[in-house]
Amino acid sequence: MLEVKNLNLYYGGFQALMDITLRVERDQIVSILGSNGAGKSTLLKAISGLLKPSSGSIHYDGGRIDHLDPHEIVRLGLALVPEGRKIFSSLTVLENLLIGSYVPKARRTKDEQLENVFELFPRLRERKEQLGSTLSGGEQQMLAIGRALMSQPRLIVFDEISLGLSPVIVQHLYQAVDRIKKKGMVVVLVEQDVKRSLKTADCAYILQEGKIRLKGNPRDFTEEEVKKAYFGL
Amino acid sequence: MLASLEPLINGILLGGLYAVIGIGLSMIFGIMRQVNLAHGELMILASYLSLVFIQLLGLHPLLTFLFVLPAIFILGYLIQTFLFNRVLEKGMEPYLMISFGLSIILQNAMLLLFTPDARTLQTSLAIKSINVFNLFYVPVIYLVDFVGGFLVLGLLHLIMKKTYLGWAIRAASDNLTAAKLMGINPKKVYALAMGIAVITAAISGVLVGMTFTFYPHSGTQYLIIAFGVVIIGGLGSLPGTFLGGLILGVSQLVGGRIIGPGLQLLSGYIILLIVLTIRPQGLLGRK
Repeated sequence: MLEVKNLNLYYGGFQALMDITLRVERDQIVSILGSNGAGKSTLLKAISGLLKPSSGSIHYDGGRIDHLDPHEIVRLGLALVPEGRKIFSSLTVLENLLIGSYVPKARRTKDEQLENVFELFPRLRERKEQLGSTLSGGEQQMLAIGRALMSQPRLIVFDEISLGLSPVIVQHLYQAVDRIKKKGMVVVLVEQDVKRSLKTADCAYILQEGKIRLKGNPRDFTEEEVKKAYFGL
Repeated sequence: MLASLEPLINGILLGGLYAVIGIGLSMIFGIMRQVNLAHGELMILASYLSLVFIQLLGLHPLLTFLFVLPAIFILGYLIQTFLFNRVLEKGMEPYLMISFGLSIILQNAMLLLFTPDARTLQTSLAIKSINVFNLFYVPVIYLVDFVGGFLVLGLLHLIMKKTYLGWAIRAASDNLTAAKLMGINPKKVYALAMGIAVITAAISGVLVGMTFTFYPHSGTQYLIIAFGVVIIGGLGSLPGTFLGGLILGVSQLVGGRIIGPGLQLLSGYIILLIVLTIRPQGLLGRK
């Protein structure tokens, strides 16, 4: 469903991504792992259209998307829950969710989708008239996820959702991710938290310094292999 | 003693007009973080356009809204699409230069087309006054200005709070990157926001034309009023802009009554300086 082929990306004179090739099939949870600076977020920005690659291609649902603008990619059904949450601080929780349904096809079903999001994250219903900026980190992450869901995506990418959050909240978030997957969406998880990703993913890629060092079914990885790929030893 | 209520009441009413003058500038800065130096000229262009329709079709000035507003909206949309969108996300300097150049072009175009003679949009509303309890007089046009201001800002508030366009505009101003990820096309949203901003400029232009005389160069003084309103009331706040307009209006008229009618503008600017000193983000502005 999502395919990246031989992607190279230069970021201000520095090569951030080198010859990246990966595939995401339907009914999969795919994990992209790596330490800080490995290139994970750069890769996601390229996929979502925020950055343009220097060479290589990105394909979604059979069509090429690497030349498209971010707002066009969302309309195709590919949503990104961005790193750092990036919720709209002067909008209320409800308005944040409603703007998530901005794309035309999502507007028609917005009330239904809103119910689904509140069911997934009851805390958001409690806080729906509050400004985005008044939420805690965990609540903001829930809001960012809910907001992405409102666009009715078929593929959803989570960029480091556990960053800066307590284990209890992270557990809750991952339960939500599991429920999202069960609803039929294709999930791509980008994380620094290796253990958790390896448990949930069907397929994992480990990035280090812009290159893919290890890929495959995480249950087949040895601890040695993972350490080597992650730290580039 | 109660007769001294006159400058206060009239100041409040005029303040409603000032609020409409300022809201266009405030919107563009709040949403795009840019200052449109041609704002005053766009207002006065609307005044002249209204004049044309009055002379061509014999309409009452208020009816010319039907023609002037769509015309100015289209102009604003085109300006944003073909001029300003080319320097999107490139900082403030290019935008300032473009808007400055635009203001010069517009001023001189109006000078060429309409001559430097003083003009007004003739209406009996400007001559009639209401006798308030036999204490003082309120020009009816001031009342029209205030109601106009209230309606415009009220309508804008509804748009921002209840429509997809409003949420999109606010989202884009909070975090443009995240807004793109929602499917919002920045160029289109900015063009629409600019269109709305120039419509408010056009409305204030026609009201100004009915209330005062205007010349091709009048744009500058109204740009300064717009700045005053926005600075006092605060950026990014609709109620703030309304408040800013009222305070500026009252400062001018009450101050003018106290220190002398020729120093009306000065008294307004003194209040401006005071607000800048004690609360630089404006009374209701976001930090």
